[in-house]
Amino acid sequence: MTAAVDLVNLTRTYPTASAPALKGVDLTVEPGQAVAVLGPSGSGKTTLLRLAAGLDAPDDGDIRLNGASVLHLPPQRRGIAMVSQRPLLFPHMSVLDNVAFGPRMAGAGRMQARNTATRYLELVELPGFGRRRTTELSGGQQQRIALARALAATPQVLLLDEPFSALDSELKSQMHQLLLELRAVLQPTIIMVTHDHHEAMLLADSVAIIIGGMLQQHGPAQSLFTHPQSLAVSRFLGGRNEISGEMRGRAFHCKLGVLRLADGTACAQGRAVMVIRQEAVRLVELTATDADTRGIITHAVAHGARTLVEVCAEGVPLQCEVPPGTPIHVGDHVGVALPVSQRQVLLDDPCPAPSRVGTPAVEHVH
Amino acid sequence: MNRRTTRAAVTATATQWLLSAWFLLPMIPVMLWAVARTWPAPLPLPSDWGFSGFLDALHDSATSAFGASLILGTLTAVLATPAGAMAAYALAYGHLRGHRSLSVLLIAPAFVPPFVIVMGLNVTLLRLHVPSLAGISLVLMVTAIPYTTFVMRSAFAGYDVTVEDEARMLGASTRAVLTRVRLPLLAPALATSAFLAFLVGWSDYIVTLLIGGGQFVTVPIRIAAAASGTGNEPVIAALSITAAAPPLLLLVTVGLLSRQRRRRRASANPVTHTPAYLTASGALR
Repeated sequence: MTAAVDLVNLTRTYPTASAPALKGVDLTVEPGQAVAVLGPSGSGKTTLLRLAAGLDAPDDGDIRLNGASVLHLPPQRRGIAMVSQRPLLFPHMSVLDNVAFGPRMAGAGRMQARNTATRYLELVELPGFGRRRTTELSGGQQQRIALARALAATPQVLLLDEPFSALDSELKSQMHQLLLELRAVLQPTIIMVTHDHHEAMLLADSVAIIIGGMLQQHGPAQSLFTHPQSLAVSRFLGGRNEISGEMRGRAFHCKLGVLRLADGTACAQGRAVMVIRQEAVRLVELTATDADTRGIITHAVAHGARTLVEVCAEGVPLQCEVPPGTPIHVGDHVGVALPVSQRQVLLDDPCPAPSRVGTPAVEHVH
Repeated sequence: MNRRTTRAAVTATATQWLLSAWFLLPMIPVMLWAVARTWPAPLPLPSDWGFSGFLDALHDSATSAFGASLILGTLTAVLATPAGAMAAYALAYGHLRGHRSLSVLLIAPAFVPPFVIVMGLNVTLLRLHVPSLAGISLVLMVTAIPYTTFVMRSAFAGYDVTVEDEARMLGASTRAVLTRVRLPLLAPALATSAFLAFLVGWSDYIVTLLIGGGQFVTVPIRIAAAASGTGNEPVIAALSITAAAPPLLLLVTVGLLSRQRRRRRASANPVTHTPAYLTASGALR
């Protein structure tokens, strides 16, 4: 129930669209691995899944399972199943027959298929639901049944198209736990489209960012946050600190002074932008030795359980997150530490910089 | 139960009874005539009772007329239902150019008087030596298509075609998608279409008379022939009740079958084997 997936140079332009939905996307997923595909709305994420499933054909490129092209195969012969945001259960069938559908199509007898379906219902923690109508189930239960139905078809690859986005936070976290347990038991290869950064980090081994139909970066989730390879990725992942300057040798010259980079960090010379996550920036005493710069607190707003603080240092707005209960007052003078290991210098990008604290945020996620 | 709920329940029941009376009251004289031997005016009820109307109708080739109507109704349903379904599918998903004009064209036979269609066609069909039954069935199919197309188009409007994608990804072939997903989901609409088309064929008079040239005798033609004379009221009433029976029977049968199917699904115990909770031993692989 697992296979290596290679998406090679996938390109797709819809007849009525002015721009391609996907442009030369290359993505490799090892057997049993889970990749989360993140990207703004309309970036081509769902197109990618539809192409992989065989519901649409690429204009160019190839799709390989275990090294063999499946481009010529119809969806029913690819061994790829998908769970969408809507459960899409068959309303004329019982829950059990929905789950037994895949085994039946694979040639199993009615009883055999139903026995298999019963096991998968137990696996998604809905034993005894087989005789129910699909309309008698809650949204979360329907999504579990959809997951059981997809898995019962024993696909080589499981595609998840924002399957939990319609669920409330409690149900969502239950489904996350369930998916983690299923992964441990079945070890399917998973490509999951989501717009939830936290979901991607929790469930996937690696994250691929698609923006404007192009794969921007693919790697372990943590590294994407701390070391984005472009300003577009940094901004999409919610990075708020961008300091303009110039790379000269191994030093970054900007209004804050000369900031050095961690050993081994490569960057082209010339005009550049230093990015550093707001979670990494620390407020310190004015006299602290590890303060890289000093400034004045201009804004402080609650940001979930934490407080997002903006400090103006040498005319450069720097944002950082502090734990709840930290005594913060607008107008205070503070020191700011920018940990060397978290600094990343990228080529300048003409796109607008992220919004400041207290102003409406540019929403990258929909 | 509060006062408002009681009032609503009483209103609902009263409305139900009034509607039933609205439909059933006009049928009472027909039912009485069917079992009357003599019913002189101004008596409120027949003076003499009997089944002479049914017996006379039986002796007067009513059985063959009944069979002819049944064949015609069935043929119309068999031809018009798939044709209407395909037309509706093309209109719903075919991305056809000029689909609005096509919609109007498909529904036109419902607006155009049957004479207009039949008067020109009967001569053409005669010249082409088309057998009466085939000719009548074809024309009735055209007459029934607006109804079947309309019903099926409404059904396709509410049909989520993405469930077919889902079925394909679960391994269903094109044929399996059709037989296990599309047809079962559209079955109620198909049954309604077939029922309407059957009624068009079953109750037709003009097309059968003009294309059949009076040689193809159906129940409506038989009733009209009896009604053209006098003193045939019991026969006319018996034939009328007979004419109403098959559609009603069909309606009741479909209703009962649907109910039985729902009950069977609800009470089915499809699994005999209940395995223990699966552990991480990989038993599913």
